[in-house]
Amino acid sequence: MSTQSRNVWIKQDDPKLVSAKHKDIFEDILEDRRHSSDLRYSARSRDVPRFHLNKPRTPHQIKDHVLKSDRVQYAVEQMCQETQLPRAEVLAQASSVVDEMAHNLRDGAIRGLAYFLMKVLKKLYQRIYVNEEGIEKVRSMIHEYPVLLMPTHRSYMDFLLMSYVFYHYELPLPVIAAAMDFMGMQFFGWLLRNCGAFYIRRSFGDDQLYWAVFTEYVQTQICNGDSPIEFYVEGTRSRTSKTYTPKFGMLSAALEPYFKSQIPDIMVIPVSISYDRVLEESLYAYELLGGLLKARKILEEDFGNVHIYFGEPVSIRKFSDGRVDRSKHSLAPRYIVSLTQEEQDLIRLLGHHVVLVHQHNMVISPWSMVAAVLMQSQQGVTVRELIREVDWVKRLASNLGAYIDWPVNESAETIIRASLALHPNIVSVTPDDVVQLLQVAPPAVQGRVAKQQVQHFTVMQNAAQHIMLSLYRNHIIHVFVRPAMLALSINSCRQDQLSLDDLYQKYAFLESVLCRDFVFIPGHTKQDFEHTLATLAHIGAVVVEAGAVAIKKSTNKTTTFLSQMFEPFLVGYWLMCQFLLSSRMQVSAKPLARTQKSLTKEMQALCARLLQEETIHHHEVLSLDMANNCLHALYHMGGVGKEKRDGVVYMYPNVARLSAITEQLGTYTEVPPLPAVSINLHTKTVTVNAKL
Amino acid sequence: MAGKETTPGQPNMFGGMSSGEEGEDRRMHSLTTNMCAESNGNKVILDPEPPTIPKRRQELLKWNGWGYKDSKFSINKDGHVEFTGERYRLSGSVMPLLKDWMKATVGISLDHKSPSQPEIPAASIPLPVKNEEFLAEFRKSGIPFSDDCQDRLFRAHGHTLHEIFTLREGMFERIPDIIVWPNSHSDVVRIVELAVKHNVVIIPYGGGTTVTNSLECPPWEKRMIISLDTSQMNKILWVDEKNLTAHVEAGIIGQDLERRLAEKGFCTGHEPDSMEFSSLGGWVATRASGMKKNIYGNIEDLLVHVKFVTPRGVMEKSCQVPRMSSGPDIHHVIMGSEGTMGVVTEVTLKIRPLPPCKKYGSIVFPAFENGVGCLRDIAGQRCAPASIRLMDNEQFQFGAVLKPESKSLLTSFMDGLKKLYITKLKGFDPKKLAVATLLFEGTKEEVAALEKRVYEIAAKYGGIPGGADNGERGYMLTFVIAYLRDLGFEYYIVAESFETSVPWDRCLDLCQNVKERLHRECKDRGIQFPPYITCRVTQTYDAGACVYFYFGFNYRGISNPVHVYEDIEACARDEILANGGSISHHHGVGKIRKQWLKKTVGDVGLGTMKAMKAYIDPQNIFANNNLMMGDHSKL
Repeated sequence: MSTQSRNVWIKQDDPKLVSAKHKDIFEDILEDRRHSSDLRYSARSRDVPRFHLNKPRTPHQIKDHVLKSDRVQYAVEQMCQETQLPRAEVLAQASSVVDEMAHNLRDGAIRGLAYFLMKVLKKLYQRIYVNEEGIEKVRSMIHEYPVLLMPTHRSYMDFLLMSYVFYHYELPLPVIAAAMDFMGMQFFGWLLRNCGAFYIRRSFGDDQLYWAVFTEYVQTQICNGDSPIEFYVEGTRSRTSKTYTPKFGMLSAALEPYFKSQIPDIMVIPVSISYDRVLEESLYAYELLGGLLKARKILEEDFGNVHIYFGEPVSIRKFSDGRVDRSKHSLAPRYIVSLTQEEQDLIRLLGHHVVLVHQHNMVISPWSMVAAVLMQSQQGVTVRELIREVDWVKRLASNLGAYIDWPVNESAETIIRASLALHPNIVSVTPDDVVQLLQVAPPAVQGRVAKQQVQHFTVMQNAAQHIMLSLYRNHIIHVFVRPAMLALSINSCRQDQLSLDDLYQKYAFLESVLCRDFVFIPGHTKQDFEHTLATLAHIGAVVVEAGAVAIKKSTNKTTTFLSQMFEPFLVGYWLMCQFLLSSRMQVSAKPLARTQKSLTKEMQALCARLLQEETIHHHEVLSLDMANNCLHALYHMGGVGKEKRDGVVYMYPNVARLSAITEQLGTYTEVPPLPAVSINLHTKTVTVNAKL
Repeated sequence: MAGKETTPGQPNMFGGMSSGEEGEDRRMHSLTTNMCAESNGNKVILDPEPPTIPKRRQELLKWNGWGYKDSKFSINKDGHVEFTGERYRLSGSVMPLLKDWMKATVGISLDHKSPSQPEIPAASIPLPVKNEEFLAEFRKSGIPFSDDCQDRLFRAHGHTLHEIFTLREGMFERIPDIIVWPNSHSDVVRIVELAVKHNVVIIPYGGGTTVTNSLECPPWEKRMIISLDTSQMNKILWVDEKNLTAHVEAGIIGQDLERRLAEKGFCTGHEPDSMEFSSLGGWVATRASGMKKNIYGNIEDLLVHVKFVTPRGVMEKSCQVPRMSSGPDIHHVIMGSEGTMGVVTEVTLKIRPLPPCKKYGSIVFPAFENGVGCLRDIAGQRCAPASIRLMDNEQFQFGAVLKPESKSLLTSFMDGLKKLYITKLKGFDPKKLAVATLLFEGTKEEVAALEKRVYEIAAKYGGIPGGADNGERGYMLTFVIAYLRDLGFEYYIVAESFETSVPWDRCLDLCQNVKERLHRECKDRGIQFPPYITCRVTQTYDAGACVYFYFGFNYRGISNPVHVYEDIEACARDEILANGGSISHHHGVGKIRKQWLKKTVGDVGLGTMKAMKAYIDPQNIFANNNLMMGDHSKL
């Protein structure tokens, strides 16, 4: 018969007919579910591994333990002394905190959720790929160590997917540190709590009782290995699809039991979840623009594939070997919170390490490369050109260490057309085969809406498409950031040669500027620089002759592409600096302090105006996220000062320092022309722009 | 003066000065035979007795293992493990369960033997370094000495794994050049004077039971090394019943001291596990701890006076008082000095009347945690019996397989019943339960009252009495386990014990984490067989406990077992320190744990020790290189 292969040992002859269930290191976990009963699946018996030192407890017993723990009792006592409240009252307070926080992981709820999730996931996604080898490591780790799962956070789907994967592979369901915002949701909040979510306030400052309950609640579950604990080291969902800089509060609380030798070790497992298409893409775009527009309703659309990569488990014992001395905690009871400086440094390092591992393990979809190309050719590009460019970017990204999801048995054209088709809300292909960003018509003017407002609206609407596109370019941007910092330094050089020392200085400046938008390990600048330089030299993008970069030979397609990719950031930062310098008002020689929120909002308005006037053309500068990151970076560089008034942070420019930064920033890229005046400040001439 | 603290009704501390209050019962003990003429007041001088340990120790004791030559575990013709000799209760009995247990837990196979090398011939033993001027002058003193090869080899080591393995497989790089046997304090003074004069090294040698490499001769030592064997200084010089003290020469070994005091109705109550072989001087020099310290105290509590011969002269206090405020206590310089500053020659110890009643007991707990909780509670209430020890499950099982073939049907029937009761009726998991062994001492009434109280506390933690037999076997295990290691050596097993002290709140975590770490390190080093790891809490204090670990593994397939073992033990010690435990509870530092001393006592502490050493022994006569002594390169 026709399907019979020429050779008996071959089952499927036609490569087109080989299903994509197994792909490289990944396995699709939805495939089988499409051919069997969901009900039976969610009712099947589960045989999960358990931590070998675990003593089984119910969620109720955990709560009970927390309230009776030395740590909470100590905090209660302290609070009684401070507030003069009766002990019973403080205890009741502690008890209500536990109730608010605690999960109620139950088998029934899990099965219910699994059933419901499966239906949803099958609708939303084509395939959910998981690296099996990683899962098997997780399985053995769960048996031997308390486990911390640290997934990337790009979508609400993250923790549903994680729980589903654990359910699928017969692993104990993780308990998940969730923000309080979820708890408010009526049914959903309850369901999640029964599926292992526990709720933490976003900030609890110096509420010692809350700290004590929270810490004990997390730590006791780690020490007893009740369940794997899942939390997001980035703190919150990344609205930009870029990695956020790590947060350390939860990580510190989770690792303290190791430093205090309550457990032999803890395993940290970084998990990278890559989406072909993020569920909340348009939500994010509008959120970044300040919620000016209403989010489009998400209907039943195709969200492509998801790749979940379980990274190499990090043993905290091995990671901290020789870096911390745990015996320093021998001189005080362990329930009094204290971490040494070395331990805090280690936690910072581990946090950074985990997010860099996240990045390394992300799966890059063809679409994010398409987005990267489209971002640089906003006037439109033919499909043919696009294919060529994407292929070029693919090679570059591979050389820089990216893992790219590229179906080998399809032609490049099929792949790219398919990814264009997956995002009909962002791009369209015109009849003459040109790829264009979707243009949104301004809404009809109703009543007495001012003309300016309509224009503003149009700018924002167009920006939304750009921002969405940038979200996908951001899937791959971490691969390019370090090389780009070199490329920018090289391309902006006006001499024939640039010594490596000077190059390093320029590189280091960019790192400190970009340190909030991108993640760099503190103190690793030199290593990063050398590694990147070597990489670029080996792929022929940078030519080093006699200890200096030959500028002409190093100005090529690669460096230009890299420089252009990051131009929006530099322009945005530069504009922010100019804005800060111009908007200061002299009140007895001190610049007027403003809240961060008002600064970013005004900055956004300014950019919108400049875009409209076509002075600038990078819509990305409208992003509030970028503006906030810029302010943070400037604060760390001393360009901006901070002070607290009534508990609100106010910021003000440090004119001299900020001017220097602005000037330096301006040397890396072409900056838009702005009207400028020179003023004399403390006998130093500073160029300041007129009020923007 | 200290008289302030004398409470009415208690004996006056100054025996010699008290008058007229000697009751009938406090009359000096009359001795069975020739009481020495010089006895004065209430001090009794005892007849010297030939030492239990001969000068040629190798005639009585194993040259390459633990204990008496006649006592050892061996595999009999039926393939069962048997304990030979007739010294111990276990002697002559067959332990039918032991072999299978060893197979199951550490993967021993009777087909794979690793026998020791035969005796090391004289030709392989390094020539002694001779300082002729010293020898010429020393001979005139008439103090016995020897430069016999086997005598020197015997005193070149203690009982660490490393040392015994070296005896079985290789040879030490450096051994003592001459053995001297002083008969008295003045002999020691003479020897030290001559050593200082001729720049000769002295390494004091007591019972030789050290497990810290402290007897190992520094290989780089070019000077002549004297091993100063105190075994002939074994006299009880006097017993003072009024003050309840005894003045004893430091070479006496534990069993002799207790036996001879018992003849007169007294004891010191100091019973370290090594008491069959270890010496009084050694206890002082290492800060020893005895099993029954809850009643009698550790060596620092027992010590009233000590004579210490140093290169600077004799260090001692001028009076024998129960306590005194006279600046930093020089006794605490001597205790724990580990032979780096001088030799302990005579000691005045507290003694107690022998207790009329002695009773063993045991408590079975559902799990180790319950046991630790109970011990802490008992310590907190200060009602601990003379000894209380908690064995973990692995050790309990080990104790069970040491059971000799039951001689009568009744015993095995009773055993069966007990097992049924504990596992079925009380629902204890035999794979989890832990056992505390108890030893009560005192009057019958005291013991009864204490028993009641201890069992009541135990009940709060789910513990149930497990019978005297289990208790007794637990203590027997202590003496026997040292012999068992030698059997292990014959079958590719290396094993060792180490100990620490830890605050109560970290006790459980420490036990757990150290065990986990050991397992992990074995795995990481590719040890193919499951290691045997077990621990027990052996002493309780108000503020914490002493924990003892046993660790052994089957090294088949590993080329450098001792090195691997030492690496792993070092990891375990790191883990112990990280868990708030100490460098050692009673074994000492020696050379094996020097690397952690600085961390333990700090720079200033270490500097102080070095300054004392520099003053007392500027020539480094006591050059055994223990404790704070630097590497030879820095000396």
